[in-house]
Amino acid sequence: MTTTRNRGAIAALLLLICAAGASPARADRAGTADAGDLATADGQYIYSHICQGCHMAQGQGAEGAGHYPALAGNPALVSWQYMALTIINGRRNMPAFSAKHAVGFFFAPVVLGDAQIAAVINYVRTHFGNDFKDAATADGVHALDR
Amino acid sequence: MYQSMQSLGFAAESNFKGPVKLSAAPKGASALVLGAGLAGMVAAYELRQAGYRVQVLEYNARAGGRNWTLRGGDRYTELGGFTQECRFDPGLYINPGPWRLPYHHRGMLSYCQRLGVALEPFLQVNYNAYVHSSRAFGGKPQRLRTVKADYHGHIAELLAKSVQGHQLDAEVTAEDQEKLLASLRFWGALDKNLKYVRGDASNDRRGFARDPGGGLKGRPTLSEPVGLHDLLQSGLWSALPIGELYDMQTALFQPVGGMGKIGEAFARELGPLIRYNAKVIEIQQDARGVSATFEDTAAHGRQTVQADWCVCTIPLSILSQIPMKVGQAMSEAIAAVPYAASVKVGLQFKRRFWEQDEQIYGGITYTDLPISTIGYPSTGLFGGGKGVLLGGYIWGLDGAQFTAMPPEERVRTAVENGTHIHPQYVQEFENGVAVAWHRAPFALGCFGLWTESTRAQHYDNLCQFDGRIVLAGEHASYLPAWQEGAVTSALDAIDRLHRRALAAAPATGSRGTT
Repeated sequence: MTTTRNRGAIAALLLLICAAGASPARADRAGTADAGDLATADGQYIYSHICQGCHMAQGQGAEGAGHYPALAGNPALVSWQYMALTIINGRRNMPAFSAKHAVGFFFAPVVLGDAQIAAVINYVRTHFGNDFKDAATADGVHALDR
Repeated sequence: MYQSMQSLGFAAESNFKGPVKLSAAPKGASALVLGAGLAGMVAAYELRQAGYRVQVLEYNARAGGRNWTLRGGDRYTELGGFTQECRFDPGLYINPGPWRLPYHHRGMLSYCQRLGVALEPFLQVNYNAYVHSSRAFGGKPQRLRTVKADYHGHIAELLAKSVQGHQLDAEVTAEDQEKLLASLRFWGALDKNLKYVRGDASNDRRGFARDPGGGLKGRPTLSEPVGLHDLLQSGLWSALPIGELYDMQTALFQPVGGMGKIGEAFARELGPLIRYNAKVIEIQQDARGVSATFEDTAAHGRQTVQADWCVCTIPLSILSQIPMKVGQAMSEAIAAVPYAASVKVGLQFKRRFWEQDEQIYGGITYTDLPISTIGYPSTGLFGGGKGVLLGGYIWGLDGAQFTAMPPEERVRTAVENGTHIHPQYVQEFENGVAVAWHRAPFALGCFGLWTESTRAQHYDNLCQFDGRIVLAGEHASYLPAWQEGAVTSALDAIDRLHRRALAAAPATGSRGTT
């Protein structure tokens, strides 16, 4: 119960500080984007700053005790809706990225807007050897975010 | 954003009630433990003590899991194949995972004592360390001491003014107002007029421009408090209560020589019970027992081991990908928990400039830069040689971005960030290592990120026995990310396991096969 209360207070505090902080990347952040940068970022930027942490720079995925699925040559990518739902809601240990579903804690959640989710889907589906012709749209992503 | 200023700051009381003492195990009873992190090794240690035949499967070539210390000469390869060589000098180290033990994490402290792991104080709060905002005070770091004194002083003055202006007459009786004013004067370091001003009272808290000394040159120079407006706008007040959070309150401890000493001590204790390089790929059970199939990642063979019972401590990030014969409730719970991203950076410097130049002996600086934290070593104080700082403890969006960088770029970025607080970085930096938890092949994430609603829906299902299998680990606790959560979840799990085993055993005491 105390946990819940403290987390509420901390979340409120973070909102306050974040609201004051959404501005373009500053030199002293050494190229690290903040939430404001992310809101207008394109697909490549989002992929290389967030997704590639697990799915790796060439979309090749990785394998240890468990694995991160490759995005290169992955038949599941035929459905951009599947990708959108995965990014919106998260899947297993992968966190959710839509504002409605993303989870923070003592830190703010990482949130991608509809347009950013569509952009990164389209980037992945046209790179790493992928060549899908249909494209996700912000509206299409929005409709899936329930 | 002061993301990690909040650190792991949520009240987290351990339910440890002293060393567990299980009665004798049913004759011939056996237990399989998956994972040689702290949860798994606590379970194995206690079950063996009770007489169970115990075997432990561990993916890594070492025990400990997230209880881990990197020292000079260690090599670490993360997912993606990036290999780092830790080049710290002898005796210097970084804990990529947990680094502190609150005094009320009694399970952890108890096992340290029983295993002979020497503890020393972990310095959490240091009034002479910094709070830093790149947007305030021209980006100049402020001493925690001055910000805390000034913030409390101004708040006390405002409250005293309200009392004297009769604005609190309805809430506070005249007698209480007298006491309240006295307390505000002392708490806030106010002068006799109940003002927070440049003077002896405020300087006794925030420190002097020139400290008092002896003799003819000993006369102190008073320092000037920072105004309330600047303080409020700086946001630095958000760092003030961190050391007052239940988990951060003095006293805290750390093992001498690194947190990994605990996992290493357990590993010595358990010896050949632990099978290393064992990647679990399937977990089965039926009415008679449990089996786990694993790949030997060193010898490239595949084997299946069996037991009556199983304590599975594999992180949910990995377990959710392993075929496992459990019911829908547990299965859905295992898949319901995303993992937090976190990165820690250890930086070696040619000298301990934070001590020599800035009189910072242990403790933590908090900043709004992506590194969020600079942790000063609590040990080796006044040493003449080199030193290792925790150069970043990174969460949230910054944590995700640092994870996406190659290790050397994480180190470089942490050094660039830190230079804004300690310009000495430029001259003194030597080498560093950076561990991103989502890239750790044995963890695939830092810790399980529960929410109120996922807890309500899934937590009990995760912790309840499913047939002959029970889960343990920080993910099966109300102390997310804390080692104490792993320990107490393991103790809770084996207590229930033991009762089941006793209930299932025939009265003759031979192995139960219900």
